[in-house]
Amino acid sequence: MTYQPVLTARLGKIDPASLQDYEAAGGFQALARAVELGPKAIVELLREAYLLGRGGAAFPAGIKWKAVSEAPAPKYVIANADESEPGTFKDRILMEGDPFALVEAMLIAAFAVGAEQGYIYIRGEYPQAIARVQHAVNTCYNAGYLGRNILGAGFHFDLEVRKGAGAYICGEETALFESIEGKRGFPRLKPPFPTECGLFGRPTVINNVETLLCVLPLVLRGLDWFKSIGPEKSPGPKLYCLSGRVHRPGLVEAPMGTTLRTLIYDYGGGVSGSGELGGVLLGGAAGVFVTPEHLDVSLDFAGLRTIDAVLGSGVVMVFDTSVDMKAVLRRIARFFRHESCGKCYPCQLGTQRQHEIVERLAAGRLRSGDLLALREIGQTMRDASICGLGQTASGAILSAIDRFGFDEHTGRFLRFDSNW
Amino acid sequence: MASPGATILEAARSAGITIPTVCYHDHLTANAVCRICVVEWMGSRTLVPACVAKIQPNARIYTDNERVRTARRVILEMLAATVDLSEAPELQTLLAEYGADPHRFGSDAARREHGPVKVDNPFYVRDYDKCILCWRCVQVCAEDVQFTFALGFNGRGFETSIATFFDRPMPETTCVFCGNCVGVCPTGALKGKREYLAAQGAPIGPR
Amino acid sequence: MTTSSSVSPTAAHLHLSPRQATAVHAILRRYRGKGSAYLLPCLHDVQAITGWLDADLAAQIAESLDIPAVQVHNVIEFYALFYDHPVGRTIVRVCDDLACYLAGSEAIVRACAAHLGLDPEHGGTTADGAFTLEIHPCLGRCEQAPFLMIGDEAHGFVRPEQVPALLGGEA
Repeated sequence: MTYQPVLTARLGKIDPASLQDYEAAGGFQALARAVELGPKAIVELLREAYLLGRGGAAFPAGIKWKAVSEAPAPKYVIANADESEPGTFKDRILMEGDPFALVEAMLIAAFAVGAEQGYIYIRGEYPQAIARVQHAVNTCYNAGYLGRNILGAGFHFDLEVRKGAGAYICGEETALFESIEGKRGFPRLKPPFPTECGLFGRPTVINNVETLLCVLPLVLRGLDWFKSIGPEKSPGPKLYCLSGRVHRPGLVEAPMGTTLRTLIYDYGGGVSGSGELGGVLLGGAAGVFVTPEHLDVSLDFAGLRTIDAVLGSGVVMVFDTSVDMKAVLRRIARFFRHESCGKCYPCQLGTQRQHEIVERLAAGRLRSGDLLALREIGQTMRDASICGLGQTASGAILSAIDRFGFDEHTGRFLRFDSNW
Repeated sequence: MASPGATILEAARSAGITIPTVCYHDHLTANAVCRICVVEWMGSRTLVPACVAKIQPNARIYTDNERVRTARRVILEMLAATVDLSEAPELQTLLAEYGADPHRFGSDAARREHGPVKVDNPFYVRDYDKCILCWRCVQVCAEDVQFTFALGFNGRGFETSIATFFDRPMPETTCVFCGNCVGVCPTGALKGKREYLAAQGAPIGPR
Repeated sequence: MTTSSSVSPTAAHLHLSPRQATAVHAILRRYRGKGSAYLLPCLHDVQAITGWLDADLAAQIAESLDIPAVQVHNVIEFYALFYDHPVGRTIVRVCDDLACYLAGSEAIVRACAAHLGLDPEHGGTTADGAFTLEIHPCLGRCEQAPFLMIGDEAHGFVRPEQVPALLGGEA
């Protein structure tokens, strides 16, 4: 089947600094259509489309929008562009190549839920994306797309670009609120949830960039089109971040539910390195490893649950059999140790202890009891941490140990044994 | 029967069920950072902290099953492998009760060490090797009691520590020496200077 | 091998040129009374002028925004992109996370460290204060691995032999 990309259709075809280009390529037609439909109809459309959040948590966007649309003002809409999950680069490419689309999607969100203030929180290590989105925001103010009485439709919306400052945890939505409020990025306790008590204690819609951009074609092309793409339980277009040992890494837009096999061999041109597939990391450092036996599983939120894997932010990182899996696990453990915020004990202490054990594993110096400790630390972080960072900090490491034939006595991963 | 709006911890107490706590303090905002009070709420994906989670009718909650005990034990083991708990008798009791073995991580497991005890004012000393990051001192110094804002944080993750503004000595901060932080410290990280000197064997003269 | 600023703040003080002092003053005036929600933007703007943030600046920022000084310190110490110690005029961030590792980031790190005369494990700042080398968590350019940033400039598909030319002259 041939799929016509919609989220990435303008990339490379328009000047990202030009509002004229954007308008000529269909820009702001979705906003005009949204204004015709009215807030209630947009929220209903989103609910019926069952658009699941593309940032990693897969929460239905329509539920957030409905709750906030019914909540009292003042309220806020936020684009979570703090893209920091290792292996993820989709939102950066969207913002660099089609920044006006994000502004338009934020306008629709604000119009639908009745928010008059919004923020786009972009990771600090994305200077070009920040510059382009800021330029798009400034241009939209000058053109009357932002500010007072937009499109003469009587609604007002102010939009601010915020720059992150080097903290993975701020991609966690409540830590992101704290960061905008000028504090350390400590995640809050939930409940209360953002739709009730979010930024500045007010009802807040917060969505990932890709999730927001899905709203544009949904509004323009309608529910039937959206539902015709991908599986019934998680429909719509999806961006896959294909990287690692493939011949053609890059951003792939395909229907939700595309298989690993299609991504690696059709889009990616096959496995590089040894040429033989060793495993795939799905969902990034916070995700899990899968094996070649899983090549035909449907890459969607529900499909991956059947093999104890996650889609997360759409990371598909490919490892051939020549990869030193121990060096990979060292980096994952180091990453979480570095990025734990330190608020709750399981993650603050567990990411350190996990890193120490994985360093021993990588050095071939595991002690008796280390693997049991690693599993118990993992279970404790998953069960008892405040937020998703700690809850997922052990998943990739434990999945590698379980799925890649780790031999405790020799310290080898049988599947990746060709080099040593 | 628990009153509406009660936390699991309050409900358990009124039913005579003990749930262990570490960071929790009756008179301070509960932040649920230590996670020692986690319990299993049937239907919840993760364990939930009893100090903040509100009880609901017909909830099935296990306060002491295997899953709960494992989490508590591992947290205690990791904590004791990191921090000097020699002056935290309540934590010592918990370690024994849960059969926690802090030595399982090896003698080379990183500890949080902060150098010499900070003796920079006439009233109290700060021994951060004993600090478990319960946040109580920061809270009483801020919105929970005093609104003085002398205490905050350094670093992040495992390397988080309690600190003054750019590590300045207490007399150079906004500290008003109210003593609230010393009063709520559970581990002897903050203690009166006289008590500290006495333990050092220094002669105590008239004040 | 981390890049967090978790070490204790140094006792170092910034020495601002008259031009820098004027620029900082203008920024602080712009943020006056704006409160906590403008702390991160204010820190970014000031640090863009001064390179790093010392206690004096932090106190002035607190006073300008009308927030507790310790909050400014809390925030500087939490975020990896804020520095409480002197750093090089140009910061080189070499990604050494998963995808870049698979594409040979270790050789890029070694090439950068060798060219700048710095430790390949931890990076650091050159004696002349021109460069700081950071071995960085994923920079979100996995499709262009291996990847490094020199200041705000992005360089994808880097080969070790290109490093001397890339870092050659000071920015």
